[in-house]
Amino acid sequence: MTADVVNGYGAATHYGAATGAPIVSFDNVSKRYGRLKAVDGLNLDLRPGQTVALLGPNGAGKSTSLDMLLALRKPTGGRITLFGGDPYRAVKEGRVGAMLQSGGLMPEVTVKELVTLVTGFHPNPEPVELTMHRAGVKDFANQRVDKLSGGQTQRVRFALAICGKSELIVLDEPTVAMDVETRRMFWDSMKEEVAQGRTLLFATHYLEEADQAADRILVINKGRLLADGTPAEIKARAGAKRVSFRLDHVDERFLLGLPGLVNLEVRGNLAQLQSDDSDATLYAVLNAGYRPREIEISSMSLEEAFIAITEEDDRNA
Amino acid sequence: MRNTLALAKAEVVRLSRNKRYFLFTLAVPVMLYLLFGKQKATAEGVDFKVFYMLSMATMGAFSGALSGNAQRISQEKKEGWIRQLRLTPLPANAYVTSKILVSMATTVPSVLIVLILGRFYGGVHLPAWQWPVLAVTIWFGSTIFAALAIAIGYRYAPDQVQAVSMFLYFGFSVLGGLWYPFSGFLGKIGEGLPTYQVTKICADVVEGVSVPMGLVAGLVIWMFIFIGLATAAVRSTAENL
Repeated sequence: MTADVVNGYGAATHYGAATGAPIVSFDNVSKRYGRLKAVDGLNLDLRPGQTVALLGPNGAGKSTSLDMLLALRKPTGGRITLFGGDPYRAVKEGRVGAMLQSGGLMPEVTVKELVTLVTGFHPNPEPVELTMHRAGVKDFANQRVDKLSGGQTQRVRFALAICGKSELIVLDEPTVAMDVETRRMFWDSMKEEVAQGRTLLFATHYLEEADQAADRILVINKGRLLADGTPAEIKARAGAKRVSFRLDHVDERFLLGLPGLVNLEVRGNLAQLQSDDSDATLYAVLNAGYRPREIEISSMSLEEAFIAITEEDDRNA
Repeated sequence: MRNTLALAKAEVVRLSRNKRYFLFTLAVPVMLYLLFGKQKATAEGVDFKVFYMLSMATMGAFSGALSGNAQRISQEKKEGWIRQLRLTPLPANAYVTSKILVSMATTVPSVLIVLILGRFYGGVHLPAWQWPVLAVTIWFGSTIFAALAIAIGYRYAPDQVQAVSMFLYFGFSVLGGLWYPFSGFLGKIGEGLPTYQVTKICADVVEGVSVPMGLVAGLVIWMFIFIGLATAAVRSTAENL
């Protein structure tokens, strides 16, 4: 079932901006911690200009994968290349900007001092003022780093991720401590970064964000890639659409025999169906002479698709 | 190297804003010296006021290199600052290098301030050439504790570091005879410690007797032990920052 969606290498063809050699490549990458397999034969390619979301439940191997990509951990099997070479070298050349959940800040200095310090480490950085403007840290630039709120801290981390004008930006759960307003601001400035030709890889468990911001989604579970495609493809991957209508005197036996039916729920005169061929299901209802009211056909949300994909994987295990 | 120095400079800025650092590395030895520095007696064959000046200078300098650093490194490791630095173009060893450099620099004032007090408040009079020799010996013997601090900071969580570095601080200062010279069994153990070796080398210099090479070799051996412990700790935690 998964084989038709996981098409890592062919995938690049239908993501508009993505051309050229992959800048990130995982080749059968594994990571074991003792007996635990955190990442298990992961294959994927990222092309320049893509915005890619890494989706997966807690413990799926997202953070471990990003750590390995950023040379913080070594794979126990397989090979990762970043800009065609060793990830450590790419990081030391300043070609990657990263914001990790576990990344801390230096206390006892001001925000501006910290951004200036880290900017100075990069070979070809953005001007400090511009970085601070983009990350929205100007209002508290002279405040001490250890005196900031969670949301402010997160913005400073973001500033450190973009200050090097790096080609690839890696973000692990970037909006986790942000309020709604800050989150919107964050994604707006992220879009600016992408518009300038950067590649963005982010892990999240806010499916809405993946749906809105990403042009490609990688679903991973138990350290393996389960699905790889546009948000629309991922939703379709889960198969079924939802069909619902109202019908007086419902004959449940008739409904259960409908073509394409995956799931059925009847409450009073409301029938809610899941079908992997919603057209055929509905035609069969009409052909039998029924005239249902309030017909609705809708795709599953990304969240439902995501749950369906990972649950299916858990069942198969 | 330019980037490592930039990081070291930022570390100095931080220290200059840290009251705790001033309290432990400067204020405590100065206070102790002012309280007890003028007693009349002899220790390790030298006038007590000289001995006390030497041991208070050593204590301030080595405790600054040890306790302060260990606590901060452990905290910064826990909060992920070391991790964050690894994501920048800064070389992987820059963090440790800058901590050592800063320790080498910040140990200087805590040595000098006690020696200056000794000269002008304690009335210690020594030949001019002896002062720089004492200062360099105390500085070297204390600054090697920065390597031990790295080992502790990388190995232990912040709440454990407090206990571990307190234990080591008292072990090295009390057994090393910095509070009061030991004799007998404990004295024998203490003679192996770098804190003892530093003050003993200094006392021999002041007395004008030749310094046994064993003492100098002992300090160098301790330096390698501490560097070895630091290297092992940094390596073994490389994936768990």
